[in-house]
Amino acid sequence: MELSLLSFVQIIIACLLIIGLMVGNAVIMVYIERKAAGFIQRRPGPYEVGPRGTIQAICDAMKLLGKQLFIPGNVDWALYFLAPVLAFLPVLVLFLPIPFGKYLTTLQVDDGILLILAFAGLGVISNILAGWASNNKYGLLGAARAVAQSVAYEIPMIMALLAVVFLTGSLNLTAIVERQGTWPWEWNIAYQPLACFIYFVSLVGETNRAPFDLPEAESELTAGFHTEYSGMGFALFFLSEYANMLLVSFVCATFFLGGYRGPILDGFWWTFIKAYAVMCVIVWLRWTFPRVRFDQLLNINWKWLLPLSILNLWVTAIIIKFID
Amino acid sequence: MFKAIIDNLKGLYSLLVGLFITGDFFLSPQKTTHYPRKVDDPETLKSYRGPLELVPADNYGNGKCISCQMCVRACPGHCLTVTKGDKGKEPKVYLYDFTLCCLCAACVESCPTGAIRFSHKVYMVAPTREALHLDLIADLKSRATKIDPMGTKAARLKVAKAEAEAAKAKADAEDAAKAKAGPAGSAGAPA
Repeated sequence: MELSLLSFVQIIIACLLIIGLMVGNAVIMVYIERKAAGFIQRRPGPYEVGPRGTIQAICDAMKLLGKQLFIPGNVDWALYFLAPVLAFLPVLVLFLPIPFGKYLTTLQVDDGILLILAFAGLGVISNILAGWASNNKYGLLGAARAVAQSVAYEIPMIMALLAVVFLTGSLNLTAIVERQGTWPWEWNIAYQPLACFIYFVSLVGETNRAPFDLPEAESELTAGFHTEYSGMGFALFFLSEYANMLLVSFVCATFFLGGYRGPILDGFWWTFIKAYAVMCVIVWLRWTFPRVRFDQLLNINWKWLLPLSILNLWVTAIIIKFID
Repeated sequence: MFKAIIDNLKGLYSLLVGLFITGDFFLSPQKTTHYPRKVDDPETLKSYRGPLELVPADNYGNGKCISCQMCVRACPGHCLTVTKGDKGKEPKVYLYDFTLCCLCAACVESCPTGAIRFSHKVYMVAPTREALHLDLIADLKSRATKIDPMGTKAARLKVAKAEAEAAKAKADAEDAAKAKAGPAGSAGAPA
């Protein structure tokens, strides 16, 4: 990987496009999520603003922009303002190695998945900082939960991804996609169904989505770590939450669902279709299941996901050894 | 150990069942009514308990109330104020504070003449608290379909008597006209 002026310009343009994607994704996902919630509860969902409520999310974003930045007393100023920025910035890096299409990758990194996993950890730090700096008991509780949860769920997630890496023999995301075929039974989900399941459960836990949304459990902690944030501070947390959701969906599509390869006409549209299908399933889960208790959450992880992922990895390694 | 595994697998299956239930709901038609553009079928509102209203005895805006104060005594929320009129049994004042009403129907059940009932007003908006202090007599009068200029029972009886007399006079006149036209008709028939 040589960093010339051309690749620098390329990265800048890609980053701008990614920011656009993140914002657009948040707007679209808010609409999809609210509509899905409505339909599942057998009501119309957003309806009034624009045709069928389509510009409701944009209006909400405008409202957030116009809101006063309210700063509670006794906050730690530096950390209070650092936290939302820290939540938002690493997401840009996370999108760099994602292969949207065969040649549509911002940065061809040989250790792509390592980069993603390393920088994904920064999101937790922003949660801790936000909870700590806002000088609020709910915020602090939410932050403590976020740490315990994210640390726990990262391990089976990595184990599940490692099983696929064993199959491919590469950490490069493009290589992983290239190894998979065009048809669904040639994708990694057919070879590693257990790893796919474990990854899916952990991605819900990792992105703090319901039923694992303990760090921001509304009924217990008002809003968890971002209780004291208003206006753009809240908007940045919100944006990074949806961007993280998009990212894990892209990783899921790349690792298990064949990435940009599809039955007809390979291309970036397959990546997007698959990623958004995963997102829709996450939304579906959210409006189906009640929130788990915290001990249940950790039990699921330490007693089931972790042993299963280790077992899966072990069996994969043995099979690869014997076949080779 | 095995029991725990089987229990957990059953739990996973139940999660799948839940997903199918919500998926089914997602695809089924909506249950809510989109209010300003659609309203519920009035038939479905028959069992709805809205604020109280007086039962009309006739089309002139007169009620059945005899000012016996049974409803006032039965009301646990003290939301009714009934004052007897100067003459007759009809109430002069029938005030109803909807903010205090718990819609328990004690007044409706205690009424000896069946003069009050629950309305089916679902679409109701009150900008202030005072807007929910309702004057039920005025409400009853506003629902009258015929206008009674005098507004008292005696006047109504007088009007009814006058109407009956007018009807009778008309019938007599018709009979007279028939009697007059009868011979002419029989005379004209053979021609």
